[in-house]
Amino acid sequence: MSMINELEKLVAKASDKAADLEVYAKDMSMMPAGYADAVVWPESTEEVSAVVKYAYENNIPVVPVSSQTHMYGSTIPKQGGIVIDMKNMNKILEIDLKHKFVRFQPGVTWNQMYEELDKVGARIMMPFTPLGNRSVLSDTLDRCVITNTVYDYGEVTQSLEIVWGDGSVFRSGSGSVHGFAADNTPTHGLYTPSRGVDPSGPGLDFYRIVQGAQGTMGIITWMSAKLELKSQIDKIYFAPIEDLDYANEFLYKIMPRRIGQEIVLLNKVDLATVIADTVEDIPELCAKLPEWTLAIVLSGVKRRPEEKIAYEEHYLTDVINTTFKDISLKPALPGFPGLGRKLLNILKTPWNAPSWKTKPYGAYEDMFFIARPEKASEYVEILSKVVAKHTYPHTMIGAYIQPIEHNRACQIEFTFFYDPANEAEKEEIAAIVYEAGVEMMNNGAQFTRPYGNLVPVIYDRAGGYTATLKRVKGIFDEKNILNPGTLCF
Amino acid sequence: MAISRQAYKALESVTGSKYISEDPVIMQGYKSGPGGYEAGLGYERVMTVLPAAVILPKDTEEVQKIVKICNRYHIPYVPYATGFYGPKTHCHVDDELIIDMKRMQQFSWDEKHMYADIGPGVIYSSLQQEAFNKGCYGVIGGGGAQCSAIANLLGDGWSPLSLKIGLPHRRILGTELVLPDGEIVRMGSLAGSDDPFWGEGPGPDLRCILRGFTGLRGCLGIVTRMAVKYLPFIQESPKPQGIAPNTSLALDEKRIRWINYQVPTKDDQVKAMYEIGAAEIGGACTKVPVFWRAIAKAEDKEEFWDIWLKESEESLKNFHLVRVMLIGYASEEQMDYELAVLDDIMQECHGKPRRTKASDESWLKNADSAGMWLMTGSYVSVEFVIESLNQSVQHGESFAALKASEYTPPLFPDFGDPGWFQNFESGHQGYSEFLIYWDQDEDTSGVDRFFLQTSKMNIENNYYSSHLGPHQPLYLTGPQYGPNYHLWLLKVKNEFDPDWICHPPVPLAHDIFVQRAEWMHDMIDWEVPEKFPMPSWTATLTKEA
Repeated sequence: MSMINELEKLVAKASDKAADLEVYAKDMSMMPAGYADAVVWPESTEEVSAVVKYAYENNIPVVPVSSQTHMYGSTIPKQGGIVIDMKNMNKILEIDLKHKFVRFQPGVTWNQMYEELDKVGARIMMPFTPLGNRSVLSDTLDRCVITNTVYDYGEVTQSLEIVWGDGSVFRSGSGSVHGFAADNTPTHGLYTPSRGVDPSGPGLDFYRIVQGAQGTMGIITWMSAKLELKSQIDKIYFAPIEDLDYANEFLYKIMPRRIGQEIVLLNKVDLATVIADTVEDIPELCAKLPEWTLAIVLSGVKRRPEEKIAYEEHYLTDVINTTFKDISLKPALPGFPGLGRKLLNILKTPWNAPSWKTKPYGAYEDMFFIARPEKASEYVEILSKVVAKHTYPHTMIGAYIQPIEHNRACQIEFTFFYDPANEAEKEEIAAIVYEAGVEMMNNGAQFTRPYGNLVPVIYDRAGGYTATLKRVKGIFDEKNILNPGTLCF
Repeated sequence: MAISRQAYKALESVTGSKYISEDPVIMQGYKSGPGGYEAGLGYERVMTVLPAAVILPKDTEEVQKIVKICNRYHIPYVPYATGFYGPKTHCHVDDELIIDMKRMQQFSWDEKHMYADIGPGVIYSSLQQEAFNKGCYGVIGGGGAQCSAIANLLGDGWSPLSLKIGLPHRRILGTELVLPDGEIVRMGSLAGSDDPFWGEGPGPDLRCILRGFTGLRGCLGIVTRMAVKYLPFIQESPKPQGIAPNTSLALDEKRIRWINYQVPTKDDQVKAMYEIGAAEIGGACTKVPVFWRAIAKAEDKEEFWDIWLKESEESLKNFHLVRVMLIGYASEEQMDYELAVLDDIMQECHGKPRRTKASDESWLKNADSAGMWLMTGSYVSVEFVIESLNQSVQHGESFAALKASEYTPPLFPDFGDPGWFQNFESGHQGYSEFLIYWDQDEDTSGVDRFFLQTSKMNIENNYYSSHLGPHQPLYLTGPQYGPNYHLWLLKVKNEFDPDWICHPPVPLAHDIFVQRAEWMHDMIDWEVPEKFPMPSWTATLTKEA
């Protein structure tokens, strides 16, 4: 019996039609195309488990896919096999405002999550402009850095349901208790006192091994994640920045005081591209914008929101008056009326696909890493030097700095905009990313989410880690069927 | 039987003769007990032995050499830092080596990026003071300020301050681990550099094997270096005051203060906690065991009993406190804001502030482990679990009911108090801890039985539990959580320690304990394999049942 016939017995819907496979063969990245032999659209954990068991028994690769837009090549089937597209598993299983969490399936998109939480006065922490049609679960598991910097807890992941590489189903964290079911809600009568809000355990921190794994360690069929109550009042402030080091010193001062909710630093290329209504507006905006713009959102939460914002404003005023006189923090950016409302909305909602990064030329390549904020300007300089050796114009590079954990670290992201039809430009950008990436690693940049042509370099440098990772992979996916050819596997 | 001369000489060649010993007097110093955590219980009597030798490496290179020698000569070993965690961190098999990490006290601080880069010999006391000096703070777990910070972060690491600071495993940054076979793995930013400031990746996060909620008691290797994240605090360090042992930190109440509120009902108490979480205020918010108040007041054991025995079920039933710490991280104005919000909440919950000292006796600097066993000489936290506040409230009540109905005595009377509960991470989680006390001079088999009985009760009532992994019989809890987390845990153990050299027979030690302890046999109603999946050599070295 053919593979597709077997799969049709296991799941609600399966296909091996070329048109269906083509959808998964390429993505927005520069990675080469790869074709699966079949695609399935499961509707339950049991169906996912059955497909993985079948693949395990027959040594067939499986590639889990949850989003509807893919950017970095991790879901391209590199060795054929079966794509498991989770988009029909798109239920929000429960929203618990009392314990501030939401439990949901992998097909739930940012748009869907935003709308459902908004109805009940809640929100989930988001990265900067997550694509509305991307999976919340995928981006969260991939450790996409969130814009909100004030909560000490950092990450939102709680319990998970995982299908391991042999098809067995497992729950991590406190959702692992006996009797915990997918419909474990007070209204279904299967309610357990344990609500699945502790990510740790049982026995090992299993959730850690599937984080950042790009589908190579297990397939997640639901996740519990923290949510927050919606703020009552939001106020955005801007500061034009010419000296990046000075801006970072300012952030080192204020962020440990837990001031602000969303805080971002964007260079003029990124900010112009984000806020431009048309492609034609981008050059003019770039010409008018300062080199960098710092945006800080102050929010009043459930009680006495005005008073909360007031003490934060007073603190900021004090710091600026006494120590950082060159920071001009205002509710508006001079020359850009209406920007406050516009950017506040951008920071608080998902971005409808396609990405704003496709505005200039239709395609883009990202390069991101974790670093010490004080070294940000050094990385900008490294990139400038590398770019100077090529013909790609420095003026086309976007830059975004996302402070993390009270500014003890940050994520730096550079974006290279390009015309997808221009092969020479693509090659040049790939070379720049590689050369600059290596030089940045030499200077302390941490590429914790490895993608693209830097993957082999990252794992070569981390020899002991790579060797241990492979041993762990051998335990949870002994036949290496989960997304083979990805990361160091 | 001792470690062979050849093996001993090989070990001695690593550290020099000054830092290795098999002197029986020294070995007595590493005996489990006589007081403290889990002291005098069946597990200690049945499962612990004196070490054959102790060795004190000075750095990772020496640790690696020692571990490789142990593998070559089949010498079982257990890593040991400060040994707080009672018998489970002591030797379990004959001819075992203790690798005592206390010489590894490397300590540096990155003030700007708020982390300490430390070795396993560094204790919380010095770390927290340095943190204060840099305008930061962290959590000192119940083990106390004399605990190894690394050991505590691998198995515990929470306190009332977790309302804001959150779970301990998120404070573990770049980490160096000597695996049971002697290979070294560096995690996070240490994986590809010598900079420990970041904890994740690259890619999948190998911190998964460091702990699993409450740790593995050292059976999956030895952490030799860890960067520990600290959180920003007020910039003025609180000032120590008093004369030992009655010391505390003086608090500037414009920036930091404890307030105790008395509320009329338990419902009000719980509601206040939910609302404090929802309002995102506070640095701590807790309801601790009522007898801790007696501990705090008493100067000695006799005085404690004088105070405590004046209480009754009736007096405790109507006594509900919520203890809240507010911190003006940014300014005095923030403190005013948080006070106003707290006042709103307490009015809704009918709370009345009680007189509260402008000092911190315990959680910021000291923790309080020494006082914890003042009353009887021994205690154990029979459960300490992080889940929802919903579970936390029910959980403590069920433990108190079981204890009162079947296990008091031998356990100390606590008049139905459900123990400690509070909210964590601004209400995203709740915490409950239930402590039990006993007299070591009496028959303690009931204590052993209560400990196991609670594990069964957790399973029956669908409660999450901290006492998984090596803390309870793995074949009891394993099928019920995950399910079958025990099979994955054993696969990981066998991958990195196929000969079970590292702290045998953990993580199956509690399984073996209930097999050996006759007074536990009638409680074994779960499926036990005919032969535990351990290498056969371990059976020849462990005590016979």
